[in-house]
Amino acid sequence: MFQRVPQPPLNAALRDLEHHDFWGGFVVALIGLVLVFGGVRHLTGIETVEGGTATEMQLMKAYSFSGLEFPDQLPVPRPPEGNDLAALDRWMKQNAHPVAPAWKVRVDLGAKTACPT
Amino acid sequence: MNCTKPECQPHQPTTLGRKLSRGRPWVQAGFLGVWLAPLGEWLHGIPGCVFHCYSCPLSSFGCPIGILANYAALLPISAEVPYLLLGMLLVVGALTGSLACGWACPFGYVQDLLAKLPTRKFSPPVWMGYFRYVVLLALVLLLPFLFGRQGIHFEDQVLSICRVCPAGALEAGLPYSVRSLLAGDGWVMSWFKTGLLLVFLGAALFIHRPWCRLFCPLGGILALFNRFSLFHLRFNPRQCVECNLCRSRCLMGVHLDQRVNVTGCIRCLECAKCGALEPGFAWPKESGLASAKLGPPRSP
Repeated sequence: MFQRVPQPPLNAALRDLEHHDFWGGFVVALIGLVLVFGGVRHLTGIETVEGGTATEMQLMKAYSFSGLEFPDQLPVPRPPEGNDLAALDRWMKQNAHPVAPAWKVRVDLGAKTACPT
Repeated sequence: MNCTKPECQPHQPTTLGRKLSRGRPWVQAGFLGVWLAPLGEWLHGIPGCVFHCYSCPLSSFGCPIGILANYAALLPISAEVPYLLLGMLLVVGALTGSLACGWACPFGYVQDLLAKLPTRKFSPPVWMGYFRYVVLLALVLLLPFLFGRQGIHFEDQVLSICRVCPAGALEAGLPYSVRSLLAGDGWVMSWFKTGLLLVFLGAALFIHRPWCRLFCPLGGILALFNRFSLFHLRFNPRQCVECNLCRSRCLMGVHLDQRVNVTGCIRCLECAKCGALEPGFAWPKESGLASAKLGPPRSP
């Protein structure tokens, strides 16, 4: 609903025209364009689950689809079923001192879960 | 004999601002088709220029603020620089400033629609707009980084911009919760976030664009470009009849009698209806010639 705001009278003669210079905005836009083109081609230092290196766009897509994997989120393999003692012994040895993976984070390109936050 | 000086010629009020302003609701509605495009899932890897949750089932582009917070949370593990996001913000900001806030933002559009309900409106002080930068530094950058340094992944962090985002609550939390409720699995959105959504929707009835005005970090970033962006608003003293309507029409409470290209402006062009403030685009030929072109102010 429109309400007139009381205010002091304007002094149009003293007011700044606020005309913007072209070159300032142009240079910043140009820097932005360079960053955009660089970003599209930029390979991050993060691996993908498939084995390659994730691009910046793949990383951003992973943010929205819960596509980041961390070592502490990896599921522990289930123990073998049945009475195979050899397999059970092998499973215990493998999981008694689990080796931390070399990667700290990686991108699952196939993730499709919406970010839960 | 009539004077031939430009300042003595009769002038017609410019109608560009008025025409553009009339079409704004239609442009805002049209942009919903861009941000809510279910076929645009592949675009999630590209940050948008508006505040729009990428968890929304219909969303197309990625939320720039969510992406920025994720980068901050990942920083202790992998020092990645979001070149594409920074470039997009620079391009959009340098070309148009905060024009996207007023014309393209879906959450701003929702608040605009709520503000059309005839309730008494309150205007918070202009200085409260600086709180947007507190949100940007604290909830988008600092807290995700500190939690990330403690080994807490972004999706598990108890406090970040996404945990308190009313746009995310409206566009993602609400549809998923309704779907879950219909399936008999209960309300999945946290009650805190549900309450925040209700508070902001309620506040939008009494304050025009409360989120944009007080809290939106993306609006804060884009508004920093308002002072030098190529698209801008100019003051034409020859058109000003000191009717004071520009400030009265400003829905964001900007002190238009002093300056218009400030951080509080969302470039909705409501103030441009009388013609004294007119939208313009800076061109190389015009640089440094503004005063000569507009001529001296008319006598009162």
